[in-house]
Amino acid sequence: MSATTQGSGVPVCPRCRSNTTEVRGVSPVAGVWTVYGCDTCFYTWRSTEGEQNTNPDKYPEVFRLKPENLPKLQVAPRIPPLQPKAQ
Amino acid sequence: MRAYQDFREFLSVLEQQKQLLRITDPIKLEPDMAAASAAATKLGNRSPALMFNNIAGYQNAQIVTNVHGSWANHALALGMDPETGVRDQFLEFVRRYRMFPGQLERVTSAPWQEVVIDKDINLFEILPLFRWNQGDGGFFIDKPCVISRDPDDWNNDDVENVGVYRLQVKDKNHLGIQTVPQHDIALQLAHAEARGEDLPVAIALGNEPIITLMGATPMLYTQLEYKMAAVMQGQPYRVVQNAKGLDIPYGSEVVLEGRILARKRQPEGPFGEFPGYYSGCHQYPLIEIDRMLHRKDPIYESVYVGRPWTELDYLQALTTSAPIFDQINATFPEVQAVNALYTHGLVLIVSTKVRYGGFAKAVGLRVLSTPHGLGYAKVIIVVDADVDPFDLNQVMWAMSVRVNPAGDVLMMPNLAENLLDPACQPSGMVTKMIIDATMPVPPDTRGDYGEILETPMGTDTWLQKLEALTKELQK
Ligand SMILES: [Zn+2]
Repeated sequence: MSATTQGSGVPVCPRCRSNTTEVRGVSPVAGVWTVYGCDTCFYTWRSTEGEQNTNPDKYPEVFRLKPENLPKLQVAPRIPPLQPKAQ
Repeated sequence: MRAYQDFREFLSVLEQQKQLLRITDPIKLEPDMAAASAAATKLGNRSPALMFNNIAGYQNAQIVTNVHGSWANHALALGMDPETGVRDQFLEFVRRYRMFPGQLERVTSAPWQEVVIDKDINLFEILPLFRWNQGDGGFFIDKPCVISRDPDDWNNDDVENVGVYRLQVKDKNHLGIQTVPQHDIALQLAHAEARGEDLPVAIALGNEPIITLMGATPMLYTQLEYKMAAVMQGQPYRVVQNAKGLDIPYGSEVVLEGRILARKRQPEGPFGEFPGYYSGCHQYPLIEIDRMLHRKDPIYESVYVGRPWTELDYLQALTTSAPIFDQINATFPEVQAVNALYTHGLVLIVSTKVRYGGFAKAVGLRVLSTPHGLGYAKVIIVVDADVDPFDLNQVMWAMSVRVNPAGDVLMMPNLAENLLDPACQPSGMVTKMIIDATMPVPPDTRGDYGEILETPMGTDTWLQKLEALTKELQK
């Protein structure tokens, strides 16, 4: 198994290297491209893009994310307190 | 002034005016869409819209970019002569803006009801989505009109909202939405979330050009964008109300109906944003799409965002300048014009008559308390009424000779700022500055100003003569 694929053939996420990825869609004209998405960091990419967007080893360092850091991202807008239910 | 029925009617007018270029060469969504659209922004004042119809992987998809991407196209959107200059477009925009409110015209059907999809929605296969900038976290719908109402005041049309907010396509039927706290929809979402309820939204794509301009206009919370669009086009604004009570433009290509999920946040971004930098990643709200309606073979519209200037800067130019002008002129009728063309008004220039010493600084302070000033205006340059704020040569002259930094620069630390401004420290906070580039008047006696040079008598007549002769010369 290479760094870029799992057993199933769906690639690992180029940005966060999670294997929580799936095929999001395929080209209406068959066989031209496949769009993949990651359910951990929500990165999306198309099979026909350059390696900087599709290959975890070539994905730019500056845009990489670690799954454990995602909950620490700034929340905007903040979630207000629940108001008590009216009787 | 004219009203465009729908997106297609405007595209046909652009084409008649030679302001639309059809690209029939085969293109790949990445990197061709970004490269071609970025190139179009470098063509200047007559830069055309681009229409792509030969897209890898699609049989019939059509994408249009740069629709508002030049002063010529902007003038045509307003129903004006494509040669109209910026200052004249500003004055006309303001004149119409002040006729608010116009009227809504509710009709029962629209062309976008031709095709209805209410199960197994897959946005990736229906819309030709693509990545604009290489570091973007995904494919963004970045020129939508997002329509919502206030859950605490549901039947009040005046607080219904139409806004342009970037949407990241997260999976087949989910979108991330950026609603910075200064946006109207953030207020409505807060009301829904306090109740623990989802906020219904409708998302209209491929719209006639006026409503997109209005969605980008920071008007007051109680001003409905449709009623402003009506005065901008000189006719009642035609909408169709959906089952939830949301009013949707008649002239859209595609409509997505869904809900912002209550009290949920998810990683979103980055996205190459209007300051010319990537926004970072944040935890932003999430929209679930329940239903999709579209015209047959819908035309998909998107806006390239890169280092200014791009189409986005035209979209945010007068739509930012006019409301700020209107709001400060209401309290200070001495104010003549506002130029908020630069990076969504992070820097802006106000021209004003000066009644007495210190007056110009008060005008600058007033800008900071407008709705847009709260979250954007960071560097405010105040110039005299004899300086055209749209002519940067004149503005730089005023800065050169009418500023003594010792008394003319005010710095105000820790004010609120849009979190997309990369200069923020911390994110959402910034120091703001007013530069008083007006000439001191009593009781402000600073400086050693003698008599100002005047334009020689008859210059205007000679200008016309020389312009005609120059044209002759070029024949
Ligand atoms: Zn990922």
